[in-house]
Amino acid sequence: MDTSHLAEHAGAAGSFFASIFVVATLSMRTMIPLRVFAILTNIVLIATAIPIHNYPTLVLHAVLLPLNAYRLHQMLQLVRDVKQSVSSDLSMEWLRPFLTERKCRAGEVLFYKDEKADSMYYIVSGRYRLVESGIELPVGAIVGEFGMFSPSNVRTQTLECVESGLILSVSYDQVEQLYVQNPAFGFYFLKLMTARLFENIERLQQEVAQQNVPLAAKPA
Amino acid sequence: MSDHGLKSSLRYLFANFLDEQDHTPPLLPEGLPEDAVAVASEGIEVLMQYQGASYARLYVDRLKRFIGKQGIDGASFCDIARLMTSRMAYEDAIRIAQLKLAEHRGSGGLVKSTDIKKFRFDELVDALPAVAADPLLVLLEKIGWSHRRVSIPFSTASKSGIARLKVEAWLRRWRMFSIRYAQERAWVERWLHMINRSLAKQPQAVRAIIDTATMVQGYGDAYRQGLADWHAIIDGLAKPTFDGVLPISDLAGALAEARAAAMPDTRQVALRRTIAEIRARAAGAGADAAAG
Repeated sequence: MDTSHLAEHAGAAGSFFASIFVVATLSMRTMIPLRVFAILTNIVLIATAIPIHNYPTLVLHAVLLPLNAYRLHQMLQLVRDVKQSVSSDLSMEWLRPFLTERKCRAGEVLFYKDEKADSMYYIVSGRYRLVESGIELPVGAIVGEFGMFSPSNVRTQTLECVESGLILSVSYDQVEQLYVQNPAFGFYFLKLMTARLFENIERLQQEVAQQNVPLAAKPA
Repeated sequence: MSDHGLKSSLRYLFANFLDEQDHTPPLLPEGLPEDAVAVASEGIEVLMQYQGASYARLYVDRLKRFIGKQGIDGASFCDIARLMTSRMAYEDAIRIAQLKLAEHRGSGGLVKSTDIKKFRFDELVDALPAVAADPLLVLLEKIGWSHRRVSIPFSTASKSGIARLKVEAWLRRWRMFSIRYAQERAWVERWLHMINRSLAKQPQAVRAIIDTATMVQGYGDAYRQGLADWHAIIDGLAKPTFDGVLPISDLAGALAEARAAAMPDTRQVALRRTIAEIRARAAGAGADAAAG
């Protein structure tokens, strides 16, 4: 029996469905649904390409399918990690896959006080000191995350590398991209920043209270 | 989407290629010392031509840091504004092409001349966006050409020369992504940081710190020498004094002495010796003061 006309019909129907999915993909406003529809498009086009022996399309979408799946997984993982961070230790570990490595030599300044802030840093190794306050930052600390939301957008201290080491950096533009592409990420990211801000306020209040205790105890 | 919306979206998308930029210069900052108005206005004008409105705004933002600051009088503010303009409008091949074209246009096309400037290969590549410059620099380093000198003509004597200058001047839209821009930005920030630290630690040396910016000028060998000397003096004298590890009581005098020893010598023999002497003297005086 000649099945070529069946394959032809399947091809035409597949192309029609694929066109709908392409339009749906392109009309998505945010990244997660866009990736989901892109994956569906890939599957439909692969299924359509097999009966009509359209191998270039088959190969193209066989490559795009795992890529879209990987990106979707990354995005879902990111949202999950930020969400988890909000409800646990407020760490910024989740940002690590998006950070770029940078080696720092002793004496190198990462940023200067009053400079326009454009990125945040994660300390992996080495020693780093905030010049104006003399505070040394521990390994694992995140620096410069608040500059992204501050109205003046400037650094409040100078950060100097005291002992050579490694830092990871991410630009505000990159974080902003993640924020805009993914509303869920944006929401939890804001929540995390607010929680870290409250934590800082609490620590400051405790420090002020500790400083006031000896003053109050001092006889007039 | 309306036609207007589509056009503006496309214009935004291709802004870098079409040279569509904000042509509105930033306003002078409030509270600017009266005698600094002219110099700051000139700075804004120069940087508008050099790069554009956002770059001029960066200049204004940097100036704002010193408005009303204790220890910064009108004259010091003027010097900061003037020297910052000069350093922010640093001379790369793009700038030289811009100036050459401006000279030609300013004369109504009457001045036709050719200037030949010498650059190092790495200096030319540094003006490209880092994405393109990094692999090129690695390649130049591998074949040993990175320090090789090349003569570049900047000519308004022929139509092809002018066309080439226009292409070079057009490259300014990529300038902010270049390795050189990152270095210049870090330099300006370091200089301003040193002024701030001087205000906090040795206010009497502020004018001398501001004035060190005159050491870094031009392009090619002279620029590199000035830059290396500046870093040697700041790292050897100013920074350790501000960090409290070197007890120099007269930092302004020490800077003047070191600057006098800066010669056109890539090994910086005289300069390094003078810095070492100043440091030894200061350490000795500090030890005496502690003992007695």
